[in-house]
Amino acid sequence: MKYWWLKLARYALPEWYGLLIIGCLMLLGIALGLLTPWPMKLIIDNVLDRQELPNAVGWIKGLPGAASNTGLLGWLAAATVGLYLLKQGVSVLHTYVRAGVGSRMVFGLATDLFDVLQRRSLHFHSKQRTGDLIRRVTADTSCVRELVLDVYLPLLTSLITMIAMCIVMWNLSPSLAVLAVLLIFPLALVIRFFARPMTQRKFDEWEVQGEMSSFIEQNLSAMPVVQAFGREDIEDDRFRGISQRSVQASFRSEISQHQFRVGTGIVTAIGTSIVMIIGGISVLEDRISMGSLLVLVAYFAALYSPIETLAYLSEGVASAAAGARRVNDILVSDEGTIIDAKNARPLHRDRNSSGISIRFDNVVYGYASKRPVLQGISLHIKPGESIALVGATGAGKSTLVSLIPRLFDPWQGAVYFDDIDIRQLLVSSVRENVAIVPQDPFLLPLSIAENIAYARPHASRAEIVAAAVASKADAFIEQLPLGYDTIVGERGITLSGGERQRLSIARALLKDAPILILDEPTSALDSQTESLLVEALDVLMRGRSTIIIAHRLSTVRKADRIVVLERGSVECYKSHLQFTARKDFQIA
Amino acid sequence: MKSSFSSMHGLRRLLPYSLRQWPWLVAILLLTLVSSATASLQPWPMKFLIDYAVQGREVFGPFATLLAEFGLQPTPTVLVVVAAIASLVVFALSSVLDVALSLSWNVGGQRMVYDLAGDLFAKLQRLSLLFHRRRPVGDSLSRLTDDTWSIYTVTDGLLMSPIQNVITLVVMTCVGFALDPVLATLALAAAPLLALSSMYFGKRLKQRSKLGREAKALLTSFLHQTLGAIPLVQSFGTETRNTKKFRALAEETVMLTQRGNLLGSSYGLINGLITTTGMAIVLYVGGVRVLTGAIPLGTLLVFLAYVRQMQDASGGLFQIFAQLKTAEASVERILEVLDSTDEIHDPPQPSKLPDRPPGKRGYLRFENVHFGYELDQPVLKGVSFDARPGEVIAFVGSSGAGKSTLTSLIPRFFDPQLGQITFDGVNLRKLKIADLRSQIAIVLQEPFLMPHSVADNIAYGRPSASHEEIVAAAIAAQADDFIQGLPNGYDTVIGERGATLSGGECQRLAIARALLKDAPVLILDEPTSALDVQTEASLIQAIQRLMEGRTTLVIAHRLSTIRHADRIAVLDGGRLVEFGPHDKLMEREGLYRQFYEYQFSGQQSIVVG
Repeated sequence: MKYWWLKLARYALPEWYGLLIIGCLMLLGIALGLLTPWPMKLIIDNVLDRQELPNAVGWIKGLPGAASNTGLLGWLAAATVGLYLLKQGVSVLHTYVRAGVGSRMVFGLATDLFDVLQRRSLHFHSKQRTGDLIRRVTADTSCVRELVLDVYLPLLTSLITMIAMCIVMWNLSPSLAVLAVLLIFPLALVIRFFARPMTQRKFDEWEVQGEMSSFIEQNLSAMPVVQAFGREDIEDDRFRGISQRSVQASFRSEISQHQFRVGTGIVTAIGTSIVMIIGGISVLEDRISMGSLLVLVAYFAALYSPIETLAYLSEGVASAAAGARRVNDILVSDEGTIIDAKNARPLHRDRNSSGISIRFDNVVYGYASKRPVLQGISLHIKPGESIALVGATGAGKSTLVSLIPRLFDPWQGAVYFDDIDIRQLLVSSVRENVAIVPQDPFLLPLSIAENIAYARPHASRAEIVAAAVASKADAFIEQLPLGYDTIVGERGITLSGGERQRLSIARALLKDAPILILDEPTSALDSQTESLLVEALDVLMRGRSTIIIAHRLSTVRKADRIVVLERGSVECYKSHLQFTARKDFQIA
Repeated sequence: MKSSFSSMHGLRRLLPYSLRQWPWLVAILLLTLVSSATASLQPWPMKFLIDYAVQGREVFGPFATLLAEFGLQPTPTVLVVVAAIASLVVFALSSVLDVALSLSWNVGGQRMVYDLAGDLFAKLQRLSLLFHRRRPVGDSLSRLTDDTWSIYTVTDGLLMSPIQNVITLVVMTCVGFALDPVLATLALAAAPLLALSSMYFGKRLKQRSKLGREAKALLTSFLHQTLGAIPLVQSFGTETRNTKKFRALAEETVMLTQRGNLLGSSYGLINGLITTTGMAIVLYVGGVRVLTGAIPLGTLLVFLAYVRQMQDASGGLFQIFAQLKTAEASVERILEVLDSTDEIHDPPQPSKLPDRPPGKRGYLRFENVHFGYELDQPVLKGVSFDARPGEVIAFVGSSGAGKSTLTSLIPRFFDPQLGQITFDGVNLRKLKIADLRSQIAIVLQEPFLMPHSVADNIAYGRPSASHEEIVAAAIAAQADDFIQGLPNGYDTVIGERGATLSGGECQRLAIARALLKDAPVLILDEPTSALDVQTEASLIQAIQRLMEGRTTLVIAHRLSTIRHADRIAVLDGGRLVEFGPHDKLMEREGLYRQFYEYQFSGQQSIVVG
């Protein structure tokens, strides 16, 4: 977090050419800005006051009709339009390039953040709110744009502008140039004093907004419950409560920004009036011309703009820092992320072998510290063997199977594939070898075909249909308006629970991995579909190491062995008959 | 495309939200007027300096006497100092006004935003589930958190900007004519051109801003679905592919942003060209008039400053149109929700439920009910049956037969397209929705727990329940044991979507939540699907106690549940094919008997009812 401003600058590097163009355009704009008051000066001194034109611009007289005073006036008036056009042209180009560079940097950061988020462990995600994470990706990542375009570039160009202006002012009136330089110190003091509370309050404001997003998100996701339990009024009140806090937080943040602005404003205003006094007296004493005074006042006003920019830099830094803090919270630490070990290697396996052997060796794991769910599990699953996992709610069945694709790492002990600790293998290689049918089918708003081919996007249509047929999903898919191209609604709610489950099974089928995990695959199916599916599963399980979490005897019966998970440890049974002989599982 | 008349109408629909903050609006208006008056004072110190101090013109009467009051002589040095102090005072005044103005906008504006967002949220919560099925959560979220900010633009465009700019324009024109009628006329000449350019760009800007927003919404909803399905993403190893897709969506957004920006800055360029040319003409004519001695130099400077302000005001006035155009896209998205007729309404004159003694309440009757989520895809095709008070009806049928859909019509999540449903003899549509739903407790397939404490989740339907009642409900739902084992017991806050609890634990909390509601009608949608045999068995006893004296509609595949039902409804392809007690249906040797023999022959040895 210490050098966040440096770390973020990394995202500016790929855009260096764009940034270079922006820099050049900014300098060009500055040069044109410096020229802006000159036509007016020439009009006042050389047209209205009828002084001779200075040598540097003597060529203007050579222009057609410029010899007469009105002709010169016309040319100079036209020059203001010309300068303006140039300046605006530069600025249009500038905003265009800037918008592109800015958003590309932001999305560069957002993409990295999104990528990291996807790879953070489930443990991390179970503690986060999706709405808040979305806000971090979509809103807070703009910190990199603020940092580079509102801090770094302005810092550079403002410094150059200031130096250029000081040089011109020095030539017009050295004493005023010195005064301008002197003003920088009180400004710096004001900035130091007000900047810190501003950062904190901005951060607070964003936190409340993040909270609001996640509140809305969880509510809209749980609409049936909200409506069925008549909670609408209560939720409305809660929304208003958060709104009010948001208004207050924004107000506080605004106040601290104004303290800052007024502070710097007072210093600059005093500066301007001193210029008017000194400059005015100089004109009276004929040391400078009227037109020069106007140029000086214009420059002084313009000089404040780079100083102001510099002054607000810390505001930009503050606002970028608030966003960067929330982005870096996730980006910097890889706590809980499952990453490849240093010498990780892929899992090589014999194509002809049936399945992979899985071994749990004294595995201890839990979600909250000191509350282990699995307390020293040891279990060996032979290649091609199928295991039915049964046990009371909360016994850790889902947790145990999550360790196989390395969604979590155990606290103690290890999981082995073909006698290799899976932490020695590439994460991608481990997961390639495991197909899962999770409890929640998680269908994505893609077409049915894309959902089935989720693990293998290049699968042919024939393969997709074959998987659907095998999982008994083909019949209902054919009846959908667009068949396999029908888009599934968000979170797949336009399909019934059983239909979703069958798609989820088809998806796992198509992955065709040597290890298969079925987490209560048939719980949402009715009896007829289930019995059909059990047959399909039978075929699917052949030649694969399979773990089924199931409660129904019909499913359990298909397994080679039954493993009972009880209070964090296991007990194995050879067959379902032996298992059903256990008294406590029979309820009379 | 809507006509511009109807879109103006749309904008006006939002005005009440602005007007409700009228004290702030009045404050903003007054402050703007004072600050534009202050702005008109800004060029005068310079005029003093040039005309009186430097060129030594006669100081005009009232001002000279004012100076004399302070015992000052109008010497050039005194005038210089006075001009400097005056500029300082003008600056101080204008910066104080700026702060006040921006704070008023901040507070007043945000109140409008959240007032509007509050109503939008309230409406979203009350829209039928049909609406929510069709729109991703991320989309509704961005309407609430992003689009509502357009009220700022609407307020400014419809209320503040016209008043401010017209007043500024009138005042400046008057002062301008008093100073020099010729220059004033020239200054106003640019106005019609500004109007033309804003008309040309307005429409295009709106189109761009709409495209930009849509691209952003797409991105957000992609994020939402991916981050919501992390277990799937990780076990299927699609991280890299998702990142690629994210990048593609982002690039699309960048392109649209950039194009929008180009259009916006071209608009600025054209407007600037018009105003600067106007300025140059004023400068030329004014310069000639200074040369001929018609006006002093200082007056020309004052005038040039005024021309700028006049042009800003008229530009602002014409920009209102373009400005409103950009807000229109957001306003449309807001109104789409606010005006959605998809809502399940309270009837204008709701009927009361007949007063019946406990145990006699909850008579449900379906009469020829037809329903489909899409009109051309009927899910229920003419279902008729009744459930008597205290009766347990079990629904059996293959997946997709319409069991869940049928039960979701009872709390009016949806309304049937044909036929009617009555509750104690009253058509559901004639009841107040809150009254109806207070009579129904539900346990859904997905438990939907909230990130509140466990106790708050159980008391979700009755926030005023005492702690004893909550614990009692948890005990009855067999949830007390595991709750006691949580770090903070009943005060443990549940992670989003119940992620730190197992499926069975979530389900038991959902059952406790329904228990505490204590309603005469109970709907159970596969209540035991995530539970194992042991938990299920003890839970079934709890549920059976809960069913006593209530009309219960249960969707279950478990034999034990079905055998306890008084009557069984067999659904097939959206039709009710068999309806009656277990024994009767077995005798008929129909679909039910087939189901029964297929499924329960195996189950019997584990769970014996």
